[in-house]
Amino acid sequence: MALSSLWVRITRTDRWLIAFTILAAVASLWLTIGRPAGQNVVIYEGDKIIFTAPLSQQRSIVLHGPLGETQVEIVAGQVRITSSPCPRKICIGMGEIHRSGDLLACVPNRVVVRIEGEERSYDLLSR
Amino acid sequence: MLKRPLALIAALLLILVFSWSLRSKPSAEVARTALIMGTLVEIKGVGSDEKSIEAAISDAFNSMRTVEARFSTRVETSQISLINRSSTAVEVEPQVLFVLRLGQEISRESGGAFHMGLGDLIKLWNFEAVTPRVPALSEIKQVLPASAEDAISISGMQVERTDPRTQLDLGGIAKGYAVDRALDILRNAGLESASINAGGDIGLLGGHGERPWKIGIQHPRNEGKLLATVELSDRAIVTSGDYERFFMDNGVRYHHIFDPQTGMPARGCQSVSVVAGTVAEADALATAVFVLGPAKGLALLEKSLDVEGLIIGADGQIATTSGLKDQIQWR
Repeated sequence: MALSSLWVRITRTDRWLIAFTILAAVASLWLTIGRPAGQNVVIYEGDKIIFTAPLSQQRSIVLHGPLGETQVEIVAGQVRITSSPCPRKICIGMGEIHRSGDLLACVPNRVVVRIEGEERSYDLLSR
Repeated sequence: MLKRPLALIAALLLILVFSWSLRSKPSAEVARTALIMGTLVEIKGVGSDEKSIEAAISDAFNSMRTVEARFSTRVETSQISLINRSSTAVEVEPQVLFVLRLGQEISRESGGAFHMGLGDLIKLWNFEAVTPRVPALSEIKQVLPASAEDAISISGMQVERTDPRTQLDLGGIAKGYAVDRALDILRNAGLESASINAGGDIGLLGGHGERPWKIGIQHPRNEGKLLATVELSDRAIVTSGDYERFFMDNGVRYHHIFDPQTGMPARGCQSVSVVAGTVAEADALATAVFVLGPAKGLALLEKSLDVEGLIIGADGQIATTSGLKDQIQWR
């Protein structure tokens, strides 16, 4: 009852103010909680970032390390090393990665591929 | 108040502005990766100032490189290489002495299961080779030192090899020690929350913000799957498994964790995870327990002070220390 009588008595300016308050409240919630970050592929040479790209963009990247060229492919949201000059090809054998925090590494050619972005069910992996 | 709607709205706005100003400052998490000691090292720091976290992480990486220069057998000028080349006593720095004494202590506690003098055996198996091979027993016998406890003698700051077959290789403890020193750097830089993961050797500073760090433990036979998770703060956890570096020969898995008595890969476990106060201790104990197998390994963990662990036996049976049972979430 009180609310309906209040609604009758409020002016156009009051309505604008109410609309502004609601919008500000929604915006502050959105900024505080934050949107989920999109996933990115980040490539390091040693400890320097040399390349980043969204995981959603299909592409092939050729990287130059001390042993030669390492080729990385992003296809259908998965990243893998497709060719490498290292002797044992362990990096190729590591297969595909797609979850945030997943890593591919070619230690001999000093190439590290890391996925950054959304949360996963653990912070660190002990293996 | 209801007669003055504008006053009500103004009050709402004031509350909104006040709560916005009181909101907690967003914390920054910085993660950086480097290749050190032949492995991938990832350091994460959480705080309010991204630049100071970056600087601390950079210093922590440099500290690990310094440890590598002192301990690596691949660095000719390292103190460990000097001991390995010398037939007489070598004076070492306090850091090296500390790690050697800790290694000796864990060797004694584990009845020789942890052995720092297997450098030539590791070279013989050569897991870095394109096509590793199983060495002949006669080759293994030639490079196998007699006893872990008597591999070196320490007198003051002097270290001497007492068995000519002893070639120090501190791979099972020095990486953990490097992580401990890097954590010191992060702590001294004022960080309250950080983690270092050096190829599975994990050291934690504080929790992950307001909550503990959630650590996933790799399933030893199902790559890409978790066996369990455990929540930890201000602790170290190291996992040693037979799935990390291995090759198959005639259907037999040959991995890189050797039984010092036989010179062959230890057969009692698939993996061992140890939680301890320092990464160096967890690192050495994980190797020792893996070599001892589930029964003796569990006994060693239970008698070690402030240490917990999880053992997956060769048959897949799981054993955990009494203090860890209630902390593990199985997957």
